[in-house]
Amino acid sequence: MSKLNLTVIQPDKIKISSEYDHIIVPGSEGDFGIFPDHTPLITQIRTGILMLFRNKELEKYAIHDGFVTVENNLVIIICDTIEAADEIDTDRAENSRKRAEQRLKSNAKDIDFRRAEAALKRSLVRINIQKKNKF
Amino acid sequence: MANNIRDIKIRIESIKSTRQITNAMKMVAAAKLRKAQDKIINVRPYANHINEMIKRIKQKNRITQHPLLSEEEIKGIHAIVIVTADRGLCGSFNTNIIRKAIEYIAANPKAELICIGKKGYDYLKKNTDRIIKNYTGLFNEMNFSVSKDIASYLMDLFLNENYSKIEVLYNEFKSSIQHNIIAKQIFPILPEDQSETNYLDFIYEPDEKTIIDVLGKKYINVEIWRILLESSAAEQGARMTSMDSATDNATELIKQLTLQYNRARQAGITKEIIEIASGAEAINN
Repeated sequence: MSKLNLTVIQPDKIKISSEYDHIIVPGSEGDFGIFPDHTPLITQIRTGILMLFRNKELEKYAIHDGFVTVENNLVIIICDTIEAADEIDTDRAENSRKRAEQRLKSNAKDIDFRRAEAALKRSLVRINIQKKNKF
Repeated sequence: MANNIRDIKIRIESIKSTRQITNAMKMVAAAKLRKAQDKIINVRPYANHINEMIKRIKQKNRITQHPLLSEEEIKGIHAIVIVTADRGLCGSFNTNIIRKAIEYIAANPKAELICIGKKGYDYLKKNTDRIIKNYTGLFNEMNFSVSKDIASYLMDLFLNENYSKIEVLYNEFKSSIQHNIIAKQIFPILPEDQSETNYLDFIYEPDEKTIIDVLGKKYINVEIWRILLESSAAEQGARMTSMDSATDNATELIKQLTLQYNRARQAGITKEIIEIASGAEAINN
């Protein structure tokens, strides 16, 4: 069976460049799977968990805001940041979750709701990726 | 004579310490250049892919109505972003950009200016009152969030205010001894390499417009970041070469002065010997 050739690009480096059997991407309209010979596609990615499958093994990454392009079994993902589960500092994520929640609760006029919300989402993904380590 | 010798000695000492400084600056610039170069290489895949995606969407769907990609001439204010360095001592790096900027102002009397870098701002604020914003001191600590700020400011000008075209004037990094001045249009977005390629039909999710909205923003972010990196690499390269030649000049000057010093010393000794010899002769006689 053919495989997917995946490249994940961050603004400052190419993070992943490898072959996978199939992957599950957090699309802006919902999670979806990409298997080999997928139809050409360009989709926005939301903040979420990216799952990569190779030989029945699963790798999980927290991914934040990006796009995926699929063409001829070539999958290219560009994103703001992507972190493997073991790269994440859980304490830091927990702290930023608290901070973001406080900011949202404070109801002050001068806070940027969208930024606080995005920060909250990011920290939740980082925390959740540790908890659900089974698929 | 003794006075003259001491003067030369003092000059030699002072040139030596200047040479030490220029040499150190050269080393620092070389190290910073290497870092900036690495960053440029790292950002390339990301920037290229975004560019490719925009080109693809634009060509396949012939979207020209989207404000970010519109090719029609719209009436509005033109603006130019001028990227200079924060510091001097880098040869013609800043002067060339400023000269180009002044030419541009003369050719476009209504255009407004945004200055990045202290040198350009300090000079241009005396010559024109059309600077609407300036960013100084950001090359010391370059990070992506700075370029995001600039990008969102420009985006706001273009989408919400009456600005129809925004260009950036900057030094593009070619090599450590060569940098070219480039004026690049960033609004509306013009993907590089307009060649027609036969692309497959893509499925877009959610839809083309939303994708362009978000992708356009990312494109501007990364483009500004790339421009800042190019400019800073070019600046360090220019500084490295100019400090290198300054060090060479100082060495040359020290060589000449040392020669002069030795001659003066020799002349002094000869004179003293003559005096002693003639004194001794006078006693003998």
